Amino acid sequence: MSDTIRPAINFKEKALELLPEGASFESCLTCGLCSSGCPASGIENMDPRKFIRMAMLGMDKELSTTPWVWCCTLCKRCQHVCPMNIDISQLVFFARSNWPQEEKPSGIVRSCQLIRSTDSTSAMGLPPEDFVFVVQDVLEEVRVTQPAFKNLQAPMDKKGAFFFVNQNSREPMNEPDEMVPLWKIFDLVGADWTYSSKGWAAENFCMFSGDEEAWYEVIKKRVEAVKALGCKVWLNTECGHSYYTMWNALHRFGMEADFKLESLITYYARWIREGKLPVNSKWNRHNITFTVQDPCMIVRKAYGESIAEDMRFVVKSLVGEENFIDMQPNRSANYCCGGGGGFLQAGMTEHRRTYGKRKFDQIATTGAAYVLTPCHNCHSQMEDIGHFYGGNYGVVHFWTLICLSLGILGENERTYLGPDLLALID
Amino acid sequence: MTPTLIERTSGAGEQTLLTDVLIIGGGVTGAGIMRDLALRGLHTLLIDKHDLCAGASGGNHGLLHSGARYVSNDLHSAIECRIENELLKRLAPQCVEDTGGLFVAVEGDDPAFAEAFPGFCQSAGIFCEEISPAEARRLEPLLSEEIFRAYRVPDATVDPFRLALENVDHARMLTDSIYLPHTEIIRFEIDAGEIRAAICRDNRTLAALRIVAKQYVNAGGAWAMNIARQAGCTDVNLLYSKGTLLISHDRMTHHVINRLRPPGDGDILVPGGTVSVLGTTSVRTDNLETNRPTVAEIDTNVIEGAAMIPALATTRYIRAFSRVRPLLQSSDSGDGREATRGFALLDHTSQGLINFCTITGGKLTTFRLMAEKTSNLVAERLGNTQACTTDSVPLPGSAACRWTEPGAAPRYWYKANNPDDMILCECEMVPQSAIDEIVRCAPGAEADMTLEAIALRSRAGKGPCQGSFCGIRIASYLYDRGYYRDKTGLVHMRDFFNERFKGMRTVIWGQQAAQMELAEALHCGLLGLDNLDNE
Amino acid sequence: MREETRKFDTELAVIGSGIAGCAASIFALNRQIDCAQVGNTGAVAYTTGYLDLLGAIEESSAAVAKPWEGLAQLKNLHPDHPLSRIPVTDIRKGFDQFATFLGECGITYTAPRESNITALTPAGTLKKTLCVPATMAAGPEAFADKTPCVIIDFKGLKGFSAREVVANLQDQWPTLLAARIIFPDMDKGEIYPEVMARALEVPATRTRLAELLREAAGEVKVIGLPAVLGMHRPDHVRAELEQLTGLTIFEIPTMPPSVPGIRLREMFEQVFPEKGITLIPQQKVTALSFDTDGALLCLSDNYGPITIQAKAVILATGRFLSGGLEAHITGISESLLDLPVSQPPSRTDWYRDGYTDRRGHPIHKAGIDIDTSYRPLGKNGKPYNEHLFAAGIILAHQDWIRGRSGAGIAIATAYKAVEAAEKFLLAQHA
Repeated sequence: MSDTIRPAINFKEKALELLPEGASFESCLTCGLCSSGCPASGIENMDPRKFIRMAMLGMDKELSTTPWVWCCTLCKRCQHVCPMNIDISQLVFFARSNWPQEEKPSGIVRSCQLIRSTDSTSAMGLPPEDFVFVVQDVLEEVRVTQPAFKNLQAPMDKKGAFFFVNQNSREPMNEPDEMVPLWKIFDLVGADWTYSSKGWAAENFCMFSGDEEAWYEVIKKRVEAVKALGCKVWLNTECGHSYYTMWNALHRFGMEADFKLESLITYYARWIREGKLPVNSKWNRHNITFTVQDPCMIVRKAYGESIAEDMRFVVKSLVGEENFIDMQPNRSANYCCGGGGGFLQAGMTEHRRTYGKRKFDQIATTGAAYVLTPCHNCHSQMEDIGHFYGGNYGVVHFWTLICLSLGILGENERTYLGPDLLALID
Repeated sequence: MTPTLIERTSGAGEQTLLTDVLIIGGGVTGAGIMRDLALRGLHTLLIDKHDLCAGASGGNHGLLHSGARYVSNDLHSAIECRIENELLKRLAPQCVEDTGGLFVAVEGDDPAFAEAFPGFCQSAGIFCEEISPAEARRLEPLLSEEIFRAYRVPDATVDPFRLALENVDHARMLTDSIYLPHTEIIRFEIDAGEIRAAICRDNRTLAALRIVAKQYVNAGGAWAMNIARQAGCTDVNLLYSKGTLLISHDRMTHHVINRLRPPGDGDILVPGGTVSVLGTTSVRTDNLETNRPTVAEIDTNVIEGAAMIPALATTRYIRAFSRVRPLLQSSDSGDGREATRGFALLDHTSQGLINFCTITGGKLTTFRLMAEKTSNLVAERLGNTQACTTDSVPLPGSAACRWTEPGAAPRYWYKANNPDDMILCECEMVPQSAIDEIVRCAPGAEADMTLEAIALRSRAGKGPCQGSFCGIRIASYLYDRGYYRDKTGLVHMRDFFNERFKGMRTVIWGQQAAQMELAEALHCGLLGLDNLDNE
Repeated sequence: MREETRKFDTELAVIGSGIAGCAASIFALNRQIDCAQVGNTGAVAYTTGYLDLLGAIEESSAAVAKPWEGLAQLKNLHPDHPLSRIPVTDIRKGFDQFATFLGECGITYTAPRESNITALTPAGTLKKTLCVPATMAAGPEAFADKTPCVIIDFKGLKGFSAREVVANLQDQWPTLLAARIIFPDMDKGEIYPEVMARALEVPATRTRLAELLREAAGEVKVIGLPAVLGMHRPDHVRAELEQLTGLTIFEIPTMPPSVPGIRLREMFEQVFPEKGITLIPQQKVTALSFDTDGALLCLSDNYGPITIQAKAVILATGRFLSGGLEAHITGISESLLDLPVSQPPSRTDWYRDGYTDRRGHPIHKAGIDIDTSYRPLGKNGKPYNEHLFAAGIILAHQDWIRGRSGAGIAIATAYKAVEAAEKFLLAQHA
């Protein structure tokens, strides 16, 4: 760290201001359950309890400069296990926002800049016209190469569509074929959906950079895009923070939105229950085992138990109940994988992997061959720690497995399948 | 000055120590005398029946008075305070936080008093600046909206524990002077107008100790009258005033806040690093040994304090304490506030003794002056012609004495960035290395330390859990280190928790009730410390 | 954006997720009562895992060796104590059902016996308790037999010192030794029992630890560890380690944040929904109101507001730590319904002078009063509401800390409250 002078935050005053009465730092019993349950404990010699105590002891300078605030993924597990329900993440977020822009992890800052650079709000800077082109290009190829889907649709800017579907930039940018399984699912259930050429991207690193103004600006663009098309439901793709950043911002900034926010998971579950997605687990003839990663951003931090239940219902339907092994702990008590909060983009690889060890152990304990997760950051992080710690599991999206179960997974859509799964496809 | 030898003999099963001067009473005054004499080259022995600052020295606001508090009723004390305040800020800055002070009058207080206040200050030479109520509230947002008059004065805060520790430590360094905790005077051997020896008892081992000195100084504070009587002196007459104060979980203000009215209950709020200290009540007492806060005193302080700072009615308190102040008997008014806050030095020649003196009364702010006057008398009697230098020689800081400062331990720890130096007291963030240093070389480390003694020399146990977790962790650590090898550690743990509880008993409401329930479930329900004697 | 209130309907709502609340849910399950449980799972995370029934008679210093006989003595001395009001057969049934349920869910307990177990504590003191988790059972046995044993601690684990345990037990257990090892991959800085426990769920970690344990044990055949033997499958982890090492292994509970409480909490959170209980963990009920049909519970989680409509409610919100009772400068109140609280006349009387006074502190006997159907009494001395029942240490006239009877009171009163609620529900249906 350089010695650039930065205004020290008065964390104690901030805590009084931000946290509700009865759950302020003042009510901390210093029991340490937060630190005991936090994968970031010990990194940079810090942990959540130390953060609270240092705030109470007026160590504003230290808290304003500790790089630990970039290792805490803002996952709120500390609050979840705290008997007094104290939220530390708000103060960590605040500390992040106080860092001079040039000293913040450049990966996060750059991603935020790229998001703001185009109307796409894409962290990879993919402009609207390129997105439209990629979607069209891939669609045409599928129509040609997969006769069963010669009429497949990927509507763009379709006014009055029921679903406004967002898209993580990773797919159109790096692995466009990964968009296809979801289109097929929409096609199968007869969903009335559309992409938008504006505000289509999911990711939002402006939130992680602690830049509230930019966060607001991004969400505003996206809200306007939904409004412009008059959609009823903003349907969040398999991405964790993209949901949270939108949902939380609407409350935080008091924004008007006359549409609902929903997660794909909720709809997968609904469509399966309604028989629109006739998935089954018969394909899993070799009893390949699966576990599921609950993304903090949609489970603990937002929907809670209901979406965790939906996720398990979907997984069990897909792979067979007997082939599903839950991680422990799970649902709202699940550990963050260490990919969240911008950690993957922060350039702190060693710390990030230290953090991820707890997730690796959780996965290793299940012995599962695959982890399913509806979150891109979880996906990347779990792949990385799997390689690093010598795990032999794969990580797959839900859409991949849904199409696999339905026997409609195209040849180019099998990137994340290991040989065991590939062998099951004809 | 010739170096003084200390002889240890075991003639009659009793150890004998020789010294130039025996100082009885380990308050700040005793510690100050120890250093003052050591600066003059004299060897001293300081004893206390408990430990440093066990009396009024450790049981006050920690307020370094500007003197403004006394301008209306004790001009002499006010001037003394002003001078000592300036000296201490300059010479012992590590023990002082120069917070500044405010005097505020709230609706219902006497406007005439508020009007006259600057004039009083002026006659004592004390800086006093009127500020608008709005400005006062800007400086201290928690101040009541009912304020109608406010003044700034140069009040500050002082850490009496660190002050005492560093005075003792400096004396140890200068002349190998010795401090013995838990050593109590049993009797004096007097012969031909001189004290020949002081017979003491180690209150922990119950071993007898004979101390032979050339001069004997009674700096017993509230106990000074009793000690003087042990030497047959009847010229020390004290009144005892019990004061009760509360400690809040948070630091409520930046400045010292005084109520702008003649001294009364609950009218001073003093920041103490990371907490605030509210007090005090004042009632006459004859009881020196078992004064504890009462619920009524707590409530009075809270109600009166809340008039200045409404948040005091709802904030979390973590502790309360009572101490007895010695007041010199001059008038006999109700609560003792009218008795003089000055001090007295008695040379006891009228009592037929030529090597004994008593210093008592006074206040924390003037401790150095009291030590100077006493040391002048002692030095003169010993034929030592060196002048007092405590008004010019800075008090050196010592590593082993630095741990009492709130917020200091975590700063050292954070800077050192050693993950293996684990935090044992999580509330105040006191690491293992601090405990190591204290038991190795802090004043009093000559004898085995209890958890209480460690806590007195650090911030351990001073936070919201009041030692309920760290008492266990520190004991474990000391067992690990082989410092404890038998049930002594358990007994120390229990005694430490009992001692901490004395201060909590009257302030257990709100969040503290939850904390206490958890503590008791752990200490009694699990560890069975309520059943130690029966096991 | 519109916020929709999520609504649940249930027969019985249990407010509180401590031992009493969870016991109530278990008893409701066993009676096939449709049940929802809500409440902050505060204090249960702090439990040692020991299930006390009666370790001492309140206000006397004698430890109770035979708890069931002790109950008779308690009844004579403290007839209004909650345990004095319950037939011993019901207390036994409650304990049996509770311990059986835990065992079926992967945390096996020793069966309740006639005598208390003399269990070990992290300070090397001894504690009387009725049932201990199977992972801890070999400790008391080894102590009773004075079997040669090594207590092993870990570098970086604060508050647990093998040397401390040995120093304080050596008089009674001369063959006890201490050793310290470094936990695999945790050689630097502070480590938490929870982290070790989770790491031991991984087979590879067990293999590596087993080697270290064998070395540390030397010729000795029994070893004691702080409670870190797995989180989700402790019995399995212990069995595996015993097999790998050829040693008998037991756990000693640690100070918070400790593993046994987290084990219980996570187990309940896992198992209850699977068994059909509507569980809303970690949220406090903010309002409770009644109409002729039953009760309406209001709360909210991160996502938004939730309401639960129930025909009967069991209040098991605990005391000050869990928030069931609130201590104010002016007196003690019940936090959800402002039920009358039986309490000492003034704050002066809450605590005695000595903290560790064996007689205990009067504040602990404060609590709510109930009638014979476990209905809390209102201000008029009559049941507050026919739909409302209460259980656990929120009840008055007991000192669970001095009595070493926290689990006993929680389980036994939960058993009776569910029984009473069932009777009420059946009458409603009829």
